[in-house]
Amino acid sequence: MTDGRGALDAARVERILARFAAASDRLRVAVVDMAGDPIAVSVGSIGDRVTPDDGLVLEIRCAGGLVGHVVAIGPAIDDPTVVSALDALAAGIGELAEAEDHSLASELAQARLAQRSFVSLRGPAVPGYDLASHYEAAREIGGDFFELFQLQRRRRPVGIVIADVTGKGIGAGMLMAFARPVIHAALDASRGPADALERTNRILVDEIRSGLFITAIAGVLDVTTGRLRMANAGHEPPLLVPGDDGPIGTVEGGGVLLGAFRSLGAPELDVRLRPGDSLVLYTDGVTDAIGPTGERFGEPRLLATIEAARRAPAHDIVAALRDAVAEFRGTVPPADDVTIVVIGRHRA
Amino acid sequence: MALQTTVERVDGRVPITVLALEGELDASNFERVIDEVRGLYDAGDRTLLLDLSGLTFMASSGLVALHGIVLVMHGDQPPDLEGGWSAFHALTDAVGGGGRQAEVQLCGAQPAVTRVLERTGLDRLFLSHPDRATAIAAI
Repeated sequence: MTDGRGALDAARVERILARFAAASDRLRVAVVDMAGDPIAVSVGSIGDRVTPDDGLVLEIRCAGGLVGHVVAIGPAIDDPTVVSALDALAAGIGELAEAEDHSLASELAQARLAQRSFVSLRGPAVPGYDLASHYEAAREIGGDFFELFQLQRRRRPVGIVIADVTGKGIGAGMLMAFARPVIHAALDASRGPADALERTNRILVDEIRSGLFITAIAGVLDVTTGRLRMANAGHEPPLLVPGDDGPIGTVEGGGVLLGAFRSLGAPELDVRLRPGDSLVLYTDGVTDAIGPTGERFGEPRLLATIEAARRAPAHDIVAALRDAVAEFRGTVPPADDVTIVVIGRHRA
Repeated sequence: MALQTTVERVDGRVPITVLALEGELDASNFERVIDEVRGLYDAGDRTLLLDLSGLTFMASSGLVALHGIVLVMHGDQPPDLEGGWSAFHALTDAVGGGGRQAEVQLCGAQPAVTRVLERTGLDRLFLSHPDRATAIAAI
């Protein structure tokens, strides 16, 4: 039973959770109220005896009071990305409960939850490669998203997307929710990443009425050869970290951002990931992060952090960047979503 | 973090309103800048020169501000969920045809800001001048 500060609407929470946890087969998530009764079970059956002591437990707060818990069990709960996503989920459910008497606030809370549930939790397992990622939602709805997935074609190449909807608020969240499957489908169906972004742009220009833009990188990795074809629509350029300790390179070249002009003109970028090489993709939530003195994290710190961790596996490079940004920010709350994706090819 | 704005009206060949941005343009203040320009438009200002010489940083939300400013100065609705793109596409179509809108021009952009504009392609929307004096003489 809740204590009256805000009821958790079981049906709505269940719908959200179903979408959320479908992203991972290594995770089961339940929401339990203060009496320990599950009000929603999203994936598998955690059973009706779940208590807040069972696994990873995150508090749901509403109007400052504790109204329930998100409980997750499964091997994925040690993954910092999963913890971060669940933390955002718990905060979002609390906002939903708090907002339910105010229709606009309720809509916003639902949009924020929907956005967070759309963000991929983890990429596919691909022999010979490490695909690692981190996503951290800002307090307000931001618009980052990324995807790592295997394309439906011969040799199952890996599709890679990282994107950032400019601006913030419900409009950014809605545009993100619209654009994400469009880019995914375009990448699956098109001749290559430049074509995929061009198709996405055409749809955005023709169909969407919003005052916001999207910067994005799409890529297709041939896992057999290590050939990575990419296209960049106004996004921060990817960083190539050679496995032989050569200098970190910037993969330059790109077109305009998505949705603004009728043609992108993004060239196809052709990179080869040799054994030991890593590719780092990120959104401006990393470089624009603000520390207590008002200083920005910036590119020099980004490069120095990668340099110090460059010989480590992709997951450790992601963790190093995540921790460096968190430490730099200190107690300053994140103003923008933070997304980091690292693709590392194993050494031969 | 903070952003200061100052407004000055000068007479070139046409009356020019110079809006100088000083500090950092980011998610915390981009809407305020659009609002300020809306006030200028409502007061009758029709040619806007954005002096960016004191702007040390522009986040991607600054692009939304620039886009919104162009729309406002063209008498269109500012960006929101229901409006913005069609007017904007009319503008970008004009750009595709070789022209640039002249109602909002830039001067004094620092490398950090120029890089964001060039990377995202929004530089093609604006006539850009090295400094205020050159801009006023050219407008």
